Amino acid sequence: MKRIYFDYAATTPVDPRVDKVMRPFFDEKFGNTMSIHSFGQEAKIVLEKSRQTVANLIGAKPNEIVFTGSATESNNLALKGVAFANKDKGKHIIISQIEHPCIMEVAIWLEKQGFEITRLPVDKYGLVNSLDVKKAIRKHTILVSIIHGSNEIGTIQPIEEIGKVCKEKKVYFHTDAAQSFGKIPIDVNKMNIDLLTASSHKIYGPKGAACLFVRQGTKIEPILHGGGQESGLRSSTVNIGAIVGFSKACEICKKEMKKESQRLFKLRDKLIKNVLKIKESHLAGHAKKRLSNNANFWFSFIEGESLVIQLDLLGIAASTGSACSSMKLEPSHVLLAIGLKPQEAHGSLRISLGRWTTEKEIDYLIKVLPKVVKQLRKISPFKKHA
Amino acid sequence: MRKSKKVIMAMSGGVDSSVAAVLLKRERFDIVGVFMKFWSDGPKCVANRCCSPESEKRARLVAEKLDIPFYVFNFEKEFKNKVVDYFLKNYKLGLTPNPCVVCNKEIKFNLLFKKLKAEYIATGHYVRRKGDKLLKGKDKEKDQSYFLWKLNQKILKHTLFPVGDYTKTEVRKLAKRFKLPVLDIPESQEVCFIQTTINDFLAKHLKAKPGQITDTKGRVIGKHQGLWFYTIGQRKGIELPAGPFYVLDKDLKRNVLIVTKNEKDLFSKELTVKNINWISNVRFPLKVMAKIRYRHKPGSAVVNKNKVVFVKPQRALTPGQSAVFYKGQEVLGGGVISGV
Repeated sequence: MKRIYFDYAATTPVDPRVDKVMRPFFDEKFGNTMSIHSFGQEAKIVLEKSRQTVANLIGAKPNEIVFTGSATESNNLALKGVAFANKDKGKHIIISQIEHPCIMEVAIWLEKQGFEITRLPVDKYGLVNSLDVKKAIRKHTILVSIIHGSNEIGTIQPIEEIGKVCKEKKVYFHTDAAQSFGKIPIDVNKMNIDLLTASSHKIYGPKGAACLFVRQGTKIEPILHGGGQESGLRSSTVNIGAIVGFSKACEICKKEMKKESQRLFKLRDKLIKNVLKIKESHLAGHAKKRLSNNANFWFSFIEGESLVIQLDLLGIAASTGSACSSMKLEPSHVLLAIGLKPQEAHGSLRISLGRWTTEKEIDYLIKVLPKVVKQLRKISPFKKHA
Repeated sequence: MRKSKKVIMAMSGGVDSSVAAVLLKRERFDIVGVFMKFWSDGPKCVANRCCSPESEKRARLVAEKLDIPFYVFNFEKEFKNKVVDYFLKNYKLGLTPNPCVVCNKEIKFNLLFKKLKAEYIATGHYVRRKGDKLLKGKDKEKDQSYFLWKLNQKILKHTLFPVGDYTKTEVRKLAKRFKLPVLDIPESQEVCFIQTTINDFLAKHLKAKPGQITDTKGRVIGKHQGLWFYTIGQRKGIELPAGPFYVLDKDLKRNVLIVTKNEKDLFSKELTVKNINWISNVRFPLKVMAKIRYRHKPGSAVVNKNKVVFVKPQRALTPGQSAVFYKGQEVLGGGVISGV
């Protein structure tokens, strides 16, 4: 069976161009960046070149990039690192209600360590109001962390406005840009960002590489202690192969971003327009202020989980914020935060597009989805479709 | 080529459902493997024996070997509502319920059918279906028809029971022959969501309600901590001197446990049933072989609507247990024992 991948927001395949540059680093140029000898030197040089490339994509200086193993790690480092380094100034941190679990859970953990967390609400499109940020900042606030592009509903926050508020109030500003990095232009200076999380495997690089941008002068503590790699902020043997791939992926994104996002916008909007023709179907998130590759729908009377499985059986890979997924029972906190009822959040379906999504694939989905929705409504445990 | 029919195969990672999946695969069905997570008392589903992460892993390996799609459904909430709460409510009423009967119908069949569109649902139960008839499994020892009497015709025609035509020994051999990555662990008759004993579970979830124990003449001879700790016919665990005593009856109103020294008191012929489900077309009076608990040897009886009269007295007719009616191999129907 031919399979179609519509889950690029979960992870992406490695671009062949990325794959090619990575290969030598697993057998020939496998050195440890901390070694004195030629193998080590080789690795170290490549590491620093990679750092430059990654920095270039967001207007940062190379020494402001800390390589980590995952966006989750970067987010942990940002929140815990800033919290513990600045606890003398204060213990108050502001996040939004629609952060990724790796921010939500760190926040809960920090509360247990005696920090105070404010979780800002969002409007029905998932937007944080920068005025709310301003109002929430107090004397003892040390950090504001707001996700840039939502992993679920694709909403893009007014990061520049929020950054400005934080700068005025002299509070560190972190943004989790795992979904937006490489897809929309980011300039950490223009946007007044102090810390930014980015990931490799969401932009056609390998898994196991990510970074945290840390503006020079930011007070931050490491969470991993050891050999002192990454300027002491992330001890661990450097995963050079993955980082080389990450930087190549950044390079490609920088070059192709504009054209690619225009292409995806067109496909995505075609998809949305057609899917909304299905009875009782709804778009979650903002029509315009959203990532070019994200579409998130909800369908009354059916469960997103069943929808995803039924589509999978037809070879179409998508995702859901439905409550019944095997790991967790609660519906997506993001969908609840934008005002959906639990029952409605159950019916969610996220379609995320990417570099190899074709119009033919979109057309196929447009053809198949109404049938699947109809089928499932017939056997639905919820109120029958009127 | 004719399009093959879609089957949802309920897989637990155990021998029976794994072999069932292979048998269906050989018949060229279009199989979707499904693993169900149920509620478990204590740490999250760690030890609900049929749905531990270990079982899930094994089910996944079997699905991979058979090259069939595999999905996990978390039915914790539904299971807790429909099965565990029913179980506790019944015990509180002094009854001895069969939670598996409820789980089979409400969870394994009804709920699954609402999740995915398919022609059939298949399980690893030792029963057979012939047309619109539900039959005992070929293996007399393993026969699980006692737990499936609630299936109605609407569901029944969409069921497949691939191992019903085999004995457990044959199934074990098949598992070996197919080199299935399953562990043949000894089977347990215990309730799957309880990790310790039923009494520990009840003590934890129901508040103690002490009362008196009397003999048949009403003489107080001891104290109990809650009627639910006792089942009709029970001998062990009645810690009274000058025993052995048998549990004869529960007086719910007065919260009194009535015991007897004379086992013969436990024998009676008549009972009434409720929540009756007839799988086959029947006419009364109906001569049947009736089974009143899982390990009971069926006895001849005559059913008249909701009244059952055995030819010979049976030991310990227990309210809450299922009474299942057979004619030869066929399961005619059943009900829950309500009065004795």
